[in-house]
Amino acid sequence: MVLVVAVSDYLTGIEISVTLLYLVPICWCAWFAGRGVGVFIATVSAGAWLGAEWLERWSTIQPWVVFWNTLMMGGIFVVVATLLATLKATQANLEATVARRTTKLVAEVTVRRRTEGKLRLANTELQRTQMQLIEAAKMEAVGRMAAGVAHEVKNPLMTLGMGVDYFLQRPISDADDASLLHDMKHAVLRGTKIINLMLDFSKPRPLQPSPEDLNAIVENALGLVRHQLLKHRIEVVRQLQAGLPMLSLDHTHMEHVLVNLFTNAVHAMSDGGTLTVRSSLQAATDTSIVLEPQVILEVEDTGPGIPQEQLPNIFEPFHTTKPPGQGTGLGLAIVHRIIQIHGGSVTLGNRPEGGARATLTFNLQPKPHP
Amino acid sequence: MTKHRILIIDDDASITRGVRRNLVATGAYEVRQENHALVAVQSAREFMPDLILLDVMMPEMDGGAVAARLREDPLLKDIPIIFLTAIVSNEETHGSEAYIGDEEYLAKPVDLNILIRVIEGHLEG
Repeated sequence: MVLVVAVSDYLTGIEISVTLLYLVPICWCAWFAGRGVGVFIATVSAGAWLGAEWLERWSTIQPWVVFWNTLMMGGIFVVVATLLATLKATQANLEATVARRTTKLVAEVTVRRRTEGKLRLANTELQRTQMQLIEAAKMEAVGRMAAGVAHEVKNPLMTLGMGVDYFLQRPISDADDASLLHDMKHAVLRGTKIINLMLDFSKPRPLQPSPEDLNAIVENALGLVRHQLLKHRIEVVRQLQAGLPMLSLDHTHMEHVLVNLFTNAVHAMSDGGTLTVRSSLQAATDTSIVLEPQVILEVEDTGPGIPQEQLPNIFEPFHTTKPPGQGTGLGLAIVHRIIQIHGGSVTLGNRPEGGARATLTFNLQPKPHP
Repeated sequence: MTKHRILIIDDDASITRGVRRNLVATGAYEVRQENHALVAVQSAREFMPDLILLDVMMPEMDGGAVAARLREDPLLKDIPIIFLTAIVSNEETHGSEAYIGDEEYLAKPVDLNILIRVIEGHLEG
């Protein structure tokens, strides 16, 4: 401000206007050209302008006034150009800082999303493990009960069985007596089957895994229920993906699982229907993480489906959707348990178009069951 | 025809009685039942069976301990033993018989036909 006042004392109004006219493009150049070049341009421009002024006023103005004007204007130009160049450099620094921080922020957001994905996955895994631990505790309790009950029930069953066998081997003249004995024999066998299922459920045979072709096990299991399927006029639709990777499975256990699921489907379609068995290899993906591919096996029927209120407890031991006396309530519990000890998972639900669907999921690298 | 001698040792008298009646009814066996594990060895010495059916879980002494005593006795050590147990399922015995070490066992309740087949297998072998 002091410089502006000083200059205005020595220059006329028109000279100030001319000076500003020069200053605007010079400052503009300095702003865009950068600090060092801007100072150079400003100095040269100021020198040119003052040279012209000096030539014009040579005859009328005292030399010391010209000198003073030159000095003052040069100083002004240098100061203004330096300020503008500094301002530009500051802006460039600011932009570079913003760009750097933006890049860092983007990187942080990416890392955070990945971390969130991992956390989500870990949380899911934790919930799964918690459920498995609860399940394991329940199974342990059922196992203890089964072992205790087994001893107390199997001995009386043996007494009854031996008694019935004894009388069945003797001549029986009355048909009703014979029928009664056969009913008793049937009851003993049924009681034996249930108690054995309880023992198998609570203390399943240790896994004997080996590399297995899931599609081949499906075919074996379908062969085992072939007569039931034919008897109830059930059409089988196979949608088995060829070339599935081999899975580490216990063949006998898996056959047991599939026979259970197919038998349930047959019971749901006693008047005929369609049983669809579908296998596929699917890439399991999360929003930010790609997981191991999984083998999916779906078993679908066209029966009435499962009542919605029963779905949450469908895998509970002794839970059955069948009429009293027709189901042990252990079939699906055993399916669940066997799939669990294979490190896989099983879900059961209703299809939108009607009927039930069981979905079995197997990891290529099975996770150990707690 | 010489009848084979079978000793059945089980604390549940209804089981030993049932087994005895069924085996005797075949006409091929002479059967003695023993419901007290503590005197099982003495009973075996007196009866000198060709085969012993032995329950595993008994209150006075378990089947394993009885078997060990039988194996220590020079007169009884070669008599085949078939264990009967209620604490395994049929799946564990593969539907019929299985082995604990060298000893065969059957899951209760035992099917009569399987019991006779296993007994015959031992006696004929």
